[in-house]
Amino acid sequence: MTTKELAERLELKGLTRLFDKTVSGVYISDMVSDVIANAKAGNVLVTLQVHNNVIAAANLVDVSAIVITRGRTLPPEAVVLAEKAEIPVFMTNMDSWQVATKLYEAGVR
Amino acid sequence: MEGAKPGHRYEMVNVCPGYVMVEHEVFSKEQRSYFSAEAIAPVEEFREGPKIWKFSGMAQSFQFDIRDGETGEVTKYDDLLGLVPYSGCREDSDLHRLGELAQAEKVWIYIAVTFRPLEASRQDAWLATLRILNRYFGERLTTPNKKVLILPDYFGLYKEFSHGQIMADFGLTSMEA
Repeated sequence: MTTKELAERLELKGLTRLFDKTVSGVYISDMVSDVIANAKAGNVLVTLQVHNNVIAAANLVDVSAIVITRGRTLPPEAVVLAEKAEIPVFMTNMDSWQVATKLYEAGVR
Repeated sequence: MEGAKPGHRYEMVNVCPGYVMVEHEVFSKEQRSYFSAEAIAPVEEFREGPKIWKFSGMAQSFQFDIRDGETGEVTKYDDLLGLVPYSGCREDSDLHRLGELAQAEKVWIYIAVTFRPLEASRQDAWLATLRILNRYFGERLTTPNKKVLILPDYFGLYKEFSHGQIMADFGLTSMEA
């Protein structure tokens, strides 16, 4: 699955330009330290953190996309950073559990 | 922890959750930070000779080692306070300008900040340690032409504790958007 397909399937709202990448796996965390230690390249990162540090951590481990949950949105400087990193960031009103369920139903493992 | 996979030579091992503790000395206002693996963060004031250290702040963080899958050698990162992305520095700083220059070539600079400045005699060893950390993160990148470069702190970032460093979760649990 690609990030474009993911966004369409889960009806996610784009907060940045769309960078179409291959998704491999999911990581759910609200702690940047945990993302650095455990997220893998190609993962979709599901989080409710909107701080620049989340973008920097996601970039370090090379996630393919970020899904921000609970209707939260990125501040402008985080949008700029994500676009420089070419990491598409999406938003949904769903919570992390709902997103995880949808991702699983969509076949993301 | 991120284990070694086929094609990955290095793995992160001995991952230890804990806290980055920040304290200040009551009389001199000197500030210091350290890692605590205690289950409950040590926030009590304590005396150290003539000095009295008081709690200033803390954040959840972790410590780790990197194991070389080919040689079995384990490199420790106990001196590492955190990684500061260039983007977390002031826009008018040399580091930010260097970072922007590198980022235009898809090279992402992060600064490895230590808990305290390392003695001159340990600088070479620290460079070797960071070389391994660069290899660990670098071999996991899958985005074409992208590079991550972790540099030693030649910019004095250790002097001022930065909430821009990304190995500790400072204030990120705030519900502010």
